[in-house]
Amino acid sequence: MLEDPSYSEIVRWGDEGDSFVVLECEKFTKAILPKHFKHSNFASFVRQLNKYDFHKVRQNNEENGQSPYGPNAWEFKHPEFRANSKESLDNIRRKAPAPRKQAQHADNSVPTQQIDLLNQQILAQQQQIQHISDRYAQLTVDHQLMLQEVMRVQKTVLNHEQVIHQVMNYLLSADARQRRDSKASATFQTPGQASSAIGPSQATSMDDEPSSPLQHASKLLSDMNAEIQFNLTGMDSMGEPAKAVPPVVSTPTLDPNARAGPVRPPTSTGGNPPLVYPKMNGEIDPVVYPVGATNGIDPMYSEHVNNVPYPMPAKPEIEDARRQFPDNRKKSTNVDPGWIRSPQILLVEDDATCRQIGGKFLYSFSCVIDTAFDGLEAVNKIQDGSKYDLILMDIIMPNLDGVSACHLIRQFDRTPIIAMTSNIRSDDIQLYFHHGMDDVLPKPFTRKSLLDMLEKHLVHLKTIPQGMEAQPAAVTMAAQTSAPHSVKEDSSPAPSPAGSMNNWQSPGQFNGLTPGVHPNLQQVQGQYVTTTPAYTVDQNGVQYPAHPVPIAAAARPPNRRQLSEMSSAADNPNLAKRPRIYAQQPQMVNPVQATRTG
Amino acid sequence: MAPTKAEDPTKDAPPALSDMGESIDKSTFEQILEMDDDEDRDFSKGIVYGFFDQAESTFDKMGKALNEKKLSELSSLGHFLKGSSATLGLNKVKEACEKIQHYGAGKDETGTVAEPDESASLKNIEVTLKEAKEDYSEVETFLRKFYGETS
Repeated sequence: MLEDPSYSEIVRWGDEGDSFVVLECEKFTKAILPKHFKHSNFASFVRQLNKYDFHKVRQNNEENGQSPYGPNAWEFKHPEFRANSKESLDNIRRKAPAPRKQAQHADNSVPTQQIDLLNQQILAQQQQIQHISDRYAQLTVDHQLMLQEVMRVQKTVLNHEQVIHQVMNYLLSADARQRRDSKASATFQTPGQASSAIGPSQATSMDDEPSSPLQHASKLLSDMNAEIQFNLTGMDSMGEPAKAVPPVVSTPTLDPNARAGPVRPPTSTGGNPPLVYPKMNGEIDPVVYPVGATNGIDPMYSEHVNNVPYPMPAKPEIEDARRQFPDNRKKSTNVDPGWIRSPQILLVEDDATCRQIGGKFLYSFSCVIDTAFDGLEAVNKIQDGSKYDLILMDIIMPNLDGVSACHLIRQFDRTPIIAMTSNIRSDDIQLYFHHGMDDVLPKPFTRKSLLDMLEKHLVHLKTIPQGMEAQPAAVTMAAQTSAPHSVKEDSSPAPSPAGSMNNWQSPGQFNGLTPGVHPNLQQVQGQYVTTTPAYTVDQNGVQYPAHPVPIAAAARPPNRRQLSEMSSAADNPNLAKRPRIYAQQPQMVNPVQATRTG
Repeated sequence: MAPTKAEDPTKDAPPALSDMGESIDKSTFEQILEMDDDEDRDFSKGIVYGFFDQAESTFDKMGKALNEKKLSELSSLGHFLKGSSATLGLNKVKEACEKIQHYGAGKDETGTVAEPDESASLKNIEVTLKEAKEDYSEVETFLRKFYGETS
């Protein structure tokens, strides 16, 4: 338009080519504007120009007087508006108004975006809240369940507690009674070969140590009680209902006469004595009962028989007749718990003394022992493919501690691992179990606790001894004994069901424990038998123990009675020689068995 | 306790175990004696004498650690000797070692209360170590006699 020469009189490029000049305002308005801008308003045109950042070049009338283009000329300038440079035209934009408008748009849109954003956030938060509240509800339910569970467990524990107490009470009473009885019986038993010898020592020991194992057990119990109480305080509120439960269990077990069938039910919470009891009772003349119980419980009885080294007339045949245990038990110390094959045991222990002693004990149990100095060595051994039936693992060891070692081993191996440690606080124990340990053998361990542990975890390696004809009874027996154990297990390594079963079947092991006692198994065996007649004397008052063999070999009740003898025999060493260590366990088992036997 | 030693006359000839009632847990020690063969006491003697060596070297280490104020090392040494002495039934030594273990771990002697003051712990250990050595030399003398040494 500006280049069109026909307009040159009206509008043209400025002289310097950086502006354009409207020379004839009126003509421009009338002739050109309508053509190019569809209107005929010069003011409007100027306004538009201003909008595109064109500026009117001021005429400084005072200085120059005249504009070079004439008084009516309008000169407009734009930095980018030049003659012959069309490309720069793109840079000419509507200015202020346009940006302002856009800004307004932006102003409007930003809030909506923000609102959207906020809405989204709110939604998200709502979802989160929803989620949380769901979770909360879920947790509440879980918590409820847990509470119920805890209460249930508490009830069970308390019941067990109660049962143990009753058993204890009963045992105490039975013990007292038995001491009375045996005093009496010992005096008139003199004719009997075995009992005659027993009499004196028995009497003394009775006075010397009134059932120290029992006392020990009760002490143990009360200790445990304290602990449990302590635990309960944490959940007092929940504890309340649980505490209300005990009354369910009555205490008549104390009554010696009542302890037959009817009284058992309370105890049955813990085990199933009733099952066995009537059975026993049926087989044994009721009159015999008290005496039998006495005999069963009296630990001094066979103890002293054991320790009196004189020949037992009846022993060899009986041994042969009743049990053909391998003869490798030349010594009382070499107990063969009756493995199918020798268990392979890995003993992980950094302390040479413990290792030697533990190894020796294991050896005496006919185990094959491998040792490792620390956790690292143990892990290596197992990684190298060594197979063991059981791993005994110290906890605190150099290089790699037992818990870590166990954790590692558990990644690829399921061999039972037993923690051997003096750190047996409950949180410690929890830690051990958490890392895959199967049991805890408190240190310092004893032969007994070690053997119990072996028998518990190596049941599958045990042979079933002959003389097992009475298996059902044995099994129930085991069940019975196991009940109290399960409660006790934490505080003392009580014999496992298997262990006690075994102890019933092959008393030899327990006798084997008799420290330094020379009588070999056979003797022990004989002693059992001889005490059996002794007991017969008791019950009948006059009868003499002339024929132990038939009784032992044929009759079942005596057989059972022997069982109690056996167990009590196991007790004996404790009484006399190791009141501290052994007392706890046989205590728990034997009296229970004895009780039932009676 | 009851006259149960009849079967083992050799035990009564040397100083009786029961005389050491406080220092030595009879039943624990006896079960080790049980493991001896019929005639001699080689096994238990070996263990006991092994323990002597172990205890003495541990006491030495403890002394060193005490000088260097290495509490944690003292604790683990205490634990170590505690284990072996407990296995033998040497109660007094065991208890002293247990204390050292606790002191070394920055606790009081029962291991229940924290003892933040290291120098107090070290001091306690020093005292206890002395006791432990005394207890130890008592049982050592006894056991050496027991195994027929004329000291």
